[in-house]
Amino acid sequence: MHDAWVHVALAGAWGALVGLERRAFLQAMFSRPLVAATGMGLLLGQLQTGLYLGMVLELFYLGTASLGAALPENDTLAASGTTAAAAMMADQTGGGGTPAIWSLCLILFAGLGLLGRAVDRRLEGHAAALSTHGLELAEHGELESAVRQNLLGIWPYALVYFSLNVACAGLGLLIGTYIHHVPLVVLRGLAWAFPAMASVAAAIAARGSHARNAAAWGLLGGALMTTAALILAWVNE
Amino acid sequence: MIGPGTHLPTSVKLRVFLRSLLLQASWNPKGMQNLGLVYALYPALEVLYPDPEKRREAVQRHLTFFNTHPYVAAAIVGGVLYHEERIAAGEEDPRRVTEFKGALMGPLAALGDGFFWLSLRPAVGALCAALVPWLGAWAAVLFLVLYNVVHFTLRARLFRMGLQLGDRLVEAVARARLPSRGARLRAVAAASAGAAATYLAFAFGAQQGGVGGWLLAGGCLALGALSYLLVARRVPTAVLTAMAALLAGCLGAWL
Repeated sequence: MHDAWVHVALAGAWGALVGLERRAFLQAMFSRPLVAATGMGLLLGQLQTGLYLGMVLELFYLGTASLGAALPENDTLAASGTTAAAAMMADQTGGGGTPAIWSLCLILFAGLGLLGRAVDRRLEGHAAALSTHGLELAEHGELESAVRQNLLGIWPYALVYFSLNVACAGLGLLIGTYIHHVPLVVLRGLAWAFPAMASVAAAIAARGSHARNAAAWGLLGGALMTTAALILAWVNE
Repeated sequence: MIGPGTHLPTSVKLRVFLRSLLLQASWNPKGMQNLGLVYALYPALEVLYPDPEKRREAVQRHLTFFNTHPYVAAAIVGGVLYHEERIAAGEEDPRRVTEFKGALMGPLAALGDGFFWLSLRPAVGALCAALVPWLGAWAAVLFLVLYNVVHFTLRARLFRMGLQLGDRLVEAVARARLPSRGARLRAVAAASAGAAATYLAFAFGAQQGGVGGWLLAGGCLALGALSYLLVARRVPTAVLTAMAALLAGCLGAWL
């Protein structure tokens, strides 16, 4: 149990870090679903869970972008929170991550992207107050304090994303204790749902790529992958 | 990295560049990146304006509305230093730097959004997602390396261009032909998405095995193709995903 709480805290710390990186500092894409989810999975000892959820969520959110003042869904929270919950759940079952668990988490935590956007919107209000205060300070000649207001915009993000990821991991821990009550037939259905959702995510990604003749390029990619798989199978035989 | 063309010490220019990585720290709907810009410029303004009153004026000049793409902003930050040096030396009117920012932030934002957000990121993201089956966790590392080699190289080059060229940086940026490179990257993104979909369908089909496995693989590919058409008709993605999960879930449970 002690380990579980350490994992919950780690989930919060990683979630806060990538949440900050997405919004306030660097933007070197540690916050992208593929990296954020893989990192979360690695930290919580469920790498495969992180990888597969990261892969699907990366495709799902591939075409979204923060253009101008528009706020897209928060893909980082969606990835870190969903993976934290799935990893904790997988940990509880003792059998590691399965497509059924991944599906269940994708369904249960589907609203995280929207929640993240709402949170971002609220935090912008705080940053606007900092900007006004900065202007007042500059007016009074307190320039260093005015300039430092910029850094004060960071901490609320860290705190909020830490709490949200801790909540997701905690929920995963809780749900994980009940997972063995789920009938086998439902788990089989959930296992089938995962590649189906992944296929939809890939279609959304191809569409979201904004490429001219995206369908043709998508087909070409599919054909190349099929050829590579056939060659690999032939070589292995 | 940060070369000649200005009289500011290199350490100051480096500090400005590093602080520009925090440009979005207090992004807000009112002034947008105004606080971030002043935070980045402040070490240079301290050197250029020893007189507190002049420094206050300079800070206030940059606390007005400012918004552009966070990476391409490096060019404007460099260009602002170029102009501020001349303003501090009495060679230019302070209005020049405000006009410079006003004229460039919109076009550079469009350029940055088009290249980084809508081309490079989707291309590298989809490519590395498609490579997950072969590379495992290294796919995430490869994503960071590929993306950031381009990101940081361009960011540093743009800052240097701004510092050295001032207003003439527009011609230099145009020569980089980012829009045409972006179009090629978008094709990579679409192809990689197709490859990832195919892999997932076959991998999970093989895991299932038997007739059910073929049904799962074929069904997933058909679902992908159908989803592509429905997304084009603006069917909400959440609805599509939920329907796909429900359909596959029922089939999986029934079989």
